[in-house]
Amino acid sequence: MMDSDFDYEIENQDFSAIGKRGIWRIDGREKASGSAIYTADIKLPGMLYARVFNSPYPHAGIKSMDTSKVEAFPGVRAVLRSDDPEIKDKVVPGSYGAPWYVLPDWAMWEGEPIGLVVAADSEQICDEALKLVEIDWDIRPFITDIEDAQKPGAPELHNKVPNDIYDAVNENNPYASAFSELFRIAEGHRTFEQGSVKKGFAEADKIIEFKARRRMHTWAQPEIPSAICRWNGGYPEIWVKHQHAYEHKQVMPVWFDVPMNKVTLHVPYQGAMFGGWNWMNWSTVIHYISALLSKRTGKPVKLCFNRRDDFYGGALDCGTYEFKVGAKKDGTITAVAIKSDYVNGPTAAEANTGIYHFIENSRIPNLFKENNSVVVNRGPVTAVRCEQLANTLCFNMVFSHVAAELGLDPTEVALKNDGYDGEDSEYLTECKKRFGKPQRDSLRECIEAGKKAIDWDNKWHTPGTRKLPNGKMHGIGFVWTHEWNSKRGAGTVGVLFEPDGSVSLMAQRADTGLCAETAYCQIAADELGMRYEDVFLNSHKDSGFAMMTPDGSCNLCTNGWVIRRACRKAKRKLLEFAALGYQEEFHSYPPAFEGCGPEDLDVKDSVIFVKANPAISKTVKEVVKEVMCVQWWKHPQIYDWSWKQTGAHVDPTGEASEELIDPNKRPHFCRQAHFMEVEVDPETGEIEVTNVVCVNDVGKAINPEGVQGQQYGGVYMAVGRGKHEEVILDEPTGVMLNGNLLDYKITTILDCGPIDPIIVETAMGYGPYGANGIGENVADLTSTLLGPAVYNALGVAVDDFPITPAKILKALGKI
Amino acid sequence: MRSFAHFNAATVDEAVSVLRRYGGKATVIAGGTDVLGRMKDEILPAYPEALVNIKTIPGLDFIDEIDGVIIIGALTRLEDIALNRAVQASCPALAEAARRTASTHLREMGTIGGNICQDVRCWYYRNPDNRFSCLKKGGGRCYAINGDNRYHSIFGGSVDQGCYAVHVSDMAPALVALDAAIKTSRREVRAEEFFKVGMLRTTILDDDEIVTEIKIPKPVGWSAFFKFALRKAIDFPIVNCAAMMALAEGKVTEARICLNAVHGTPYRARKAEEVMIGVSINEDTAEAAGSAAISAAIPLTKNGYMVQIAKTMVKRAILACNCPDKL
Repeated sequence: MMDSDFDYEIENQDFSAIGKRGIWRIDGREKASGSAIYTADIKLPGMLYARVFNSPYPHAGIKSMDTSKVEAFPGVRAVLRSDDPEIKDKVVPGSYGAPWYVLPDWAMWEGEPIGLVVAADSEQICDEALKLVEIDWDIRPFITDIEDAQKPGAPELHNKVPNDIYDAVNENNPYASAFSELFRIAEGHRTFEQGSVKKGFAEADKIIEFKARRRMHTWAQPEIPSAICRWNGGYPEIWVKHQHAYEHKQVMPVWFDVPMNKVTLHVPYQGAMFGGWNWMNWSTVIHYISALLSKRTGKPVKLCFNRRDDFYGGALDCGTYEFKVGAKKDGTITAVAIKSDYVNGPTAAEANTGIYHFIENSRIPNLFKENNSVVVNRGPVTAVRCEQLANTLCFNMVFSHVAAELGLDPTEVALKNDGYDGEDSEYLTECKKRFGKPQRDSLRECIEAGKKAIDWDNKWHTPGTRKLPNGKMHGIGFVWTHEWNSKRGAGTVGVLFEPDGSVSLMAQRADTGLCAETAYCQIAADELGMRYEDVFLNSHKDSGFAMMTPDGSCNLCTNGWVIRRACRKAKRKLLEFAALGYQEEFHSYPPAFEGCGPEDLDVKDSVIFVKANPAISKTVKEVVKEVMCVQWWKHPQIYDWSWKQTGAHVDPTGEASEELIDPNKRPHFCRQAHFMEVEVDPETGEIEVTNVVCVNDVGKAINPEGVQGQQYGGVYMAVGRGKHEEVILDEPTGVMLNGNLLDYKITTILDCGPIDPIIVETAMGYGPYGANGIGENVADLTSTLLGPAVYNALGVAVDDFPITPAKILKALGKI
Repeated sequence: MRSFAHFNAATVDEAVSVLRRYGGKATVIAGGTDVLGRMKDEILPAYPEALVNIKTIPGLDFIDEIDGVIIIGALTRLEDIALNRAVQASCPALAEAARRTASTHLREMGTIGGNICQDVRCWYYRNPDNRFSCLKKGGGRCYAINGDNRYHSIFGGSVDQGCYAVHVSDMAPALVALDAAIKTSRREVRAEEFFKVGMLRTTILDDDEIVTEIKIPKPVGWSAFFKFALRKAIDFPIVNCAAMMALAEGKVTEARICLNAVHGTPYRARKAEEVMIGVSINEDTAEAAGSAAISAAIPLTKNGYMVQIAKTMVKRAILACNCPDKL
């Protein structure tokens, strides 16, 4: 029988904090006032600064190295060489447990940290000293373009970490995860087929073939990464800028002979993340270096990166795509086959990447996917602002091209093909019943809300047919998919009633995302019956408990369940104490509500009251005021804790069938639909995004302003990726040309017209109260929405992202 | 950033004197929006030994209008120029150029003097730590020719050496179109002459010379400025264009058109001007002038699109000048 904490309770809830607007963010004052402290701000007494040497070549090894001038440079306190006996060829678990060199002596991309690290009195001294190293290079042929890399005679490139070493490190790492497989930089070929695409094409009225390309784009996080370590005797103290902060505490015993309980973990505010950096193997390994240098010098060491260093790497969808789609005249898609070549491995690690969303939310029975990994001399690709980019790109391209080629309204094509795993929407309805959900048609609700908001029926037109009075071409695009899943992760949290009647939630979590900690406090307030302002989560503090990391848009679903469960347990303890008091051999504490049982009491607005007569009441503060486990005081504190594995609701009935338990057999019920209007200037190729409507069925909006913040932010990020974000390398030398925030172009607030963020709440998510995640959804899905919008404007597909003015002008035959 | 000497100049003479003492090894700083970036990235093999701060010189931050002539102190911030009513009324191209420069924050820092003295843009030349020892740094070649030249010159390399970096000031083409004069600590030159230099410099200024004020003669016609950039804020232009057209009885009597970001120096589109003289401003004549403006273009491998944009910018700037009643 499952714990009753996991029922949905979606109806008739009278929340005081959940779902309310105008809630003060618990981090709002600090962030808005500039007083919030980030790792980049931290200076410790006697602290040394360290910098890693970056390879000037995209493919080269160090034959020999003279560091004598570096060591002699004034202010340099330590030099760590890659041939140091303690680290030579050493591979350790890095981010997500993925093996990586502590300090390699050969580079696979220009800018790769290799060879030596300098620790000195300032960053500037490090930079100047590093210029004095004399290296005898083994310069090897290189290739940076995925298409060129597949031509005959292209240089042969190998895995960064050989497979046998990779496997051995994984084997010896107790925290190795399946995710570490996603970090191999390796060539590979995988195929996936469901049904028969041959049969599906034979049934089609029309076969539609096209190509798309996504150039490398990256995360561009605001806070430049750094890693600080100080050894206090034998006990290390670390300051972590990282989405997966707790992993750094976990990995210290694997790296050094020190138990976890001797490691002090600090997690200051995080200057945003957008994925990326956190998934780069060396984002964790740099802590090994700062720890080692701190140990050797006896001083705190801050290993610093600079802005350019943070641009070496890209997103998982970087690659080329070939599509073949079969469809009937009415828009029913009969088969989809996609071949993709991805950069550097991880995207191709799973055979169904790119076809996954067709399985997850369509009734298309016949699917085929071929994924190839092509290794090139660029930084690794990884989950940048989301790991689903390749999936949504493929899904979006297929639906928009089918609609355009058949002359159909794309929203109708979406509705016609909505479903799950080859089954239609009626099957979905059956599933909703089985899973104890409301039976609402989420896609239809999202589409109707979005169409109304953007005036779709008056604005949608046949591609390339609407010229505006200003001479520009009007385009409108639509894209859809399911809401993000809640299928992974684990979290633990403690709930403690402080003697003053306030409540501390105890768990560490990197504050990546948008007001997640505030949302947890909202849940806790309602579950405990406390006022919102009486609940606080200090997620920077390592209390021993750690929450699900802010990944995969899963953390609210996972941590929300955890908070709710822990709060319900803690509330029971509070009411037991209030009703029964406390008695031990030497101490006793009389009950606050004589003659009542715990079941007779409840809590609201931080006041405990008798349910049968609410006039009989005492504040929580009054009840717990003598609760303190020190000196002569009488009662240990009232607390409880709980944990939850995966954010997914497991079993509403308590009669768990295999299907209900297996998260991979759990259909998504909630949908999202986004609409974008553009004006394309045929004389300059300029695209102006004039209007965006985002509709997200988040199930239940715990913090509506937080949801809308993610919708707004997601659009800005997506518009940039659609129009101009691209990491540009000089092809002849492999050197990065735009590793800064001027030449790498993130959208500014002026570059997008009005955004209408619409929230739909069907309560069909698997999170608490029927909620879904929202963190990555909009930024991911709408990043290629510019494609259909431009197609609708011009009548010509320009699906080479980013869609630059040059590409528009070329498509129009102007150049 | 490395350490350097720093001087707060109290007068123009003092600034000049310190600059002379350092003999080319000192750099002038005002708003600092260009020079600090260059220094932080250490794009040049040699680092300046000293910075001479001229913000401390009184009397160089002003906008005056005397008998229709606009005089702007070199230390006047771009935001002040953008918002100045007199500039907006008589020199709309200049006000618009100032408004479209960078972002609000940068316009509150950057000065008109600094804007016209800024160094060229090229991501090879400006790549941090002198990664590309290019022509402009005394190296052997221009890396843009065979590399990624999507933002480089469409009118060939610099006359003397073949550097394809571009001059990206938004103010410069407006000043050229308005036939402004640049007054320095030593001389006064017409704006167009101010930028006529070889590859190693961006202005005619000597090492010990600073800009003190800019004079814009009473305009003889309406002016306009257009900028094409990937983003509406922050970005330097991919192409910009300023035009001024004097009209009499519906015909253009004087035309001055200047493009920028298309060459190592502001590019006066004389052929386009010739097309416009004696004709009325309309879609056809502006289109013809746009075509004439790019007739000498020799785009590189990846910047052909800039030619089309330059043509359009010229056309639109001319059409926007068709306002005979506004002056």
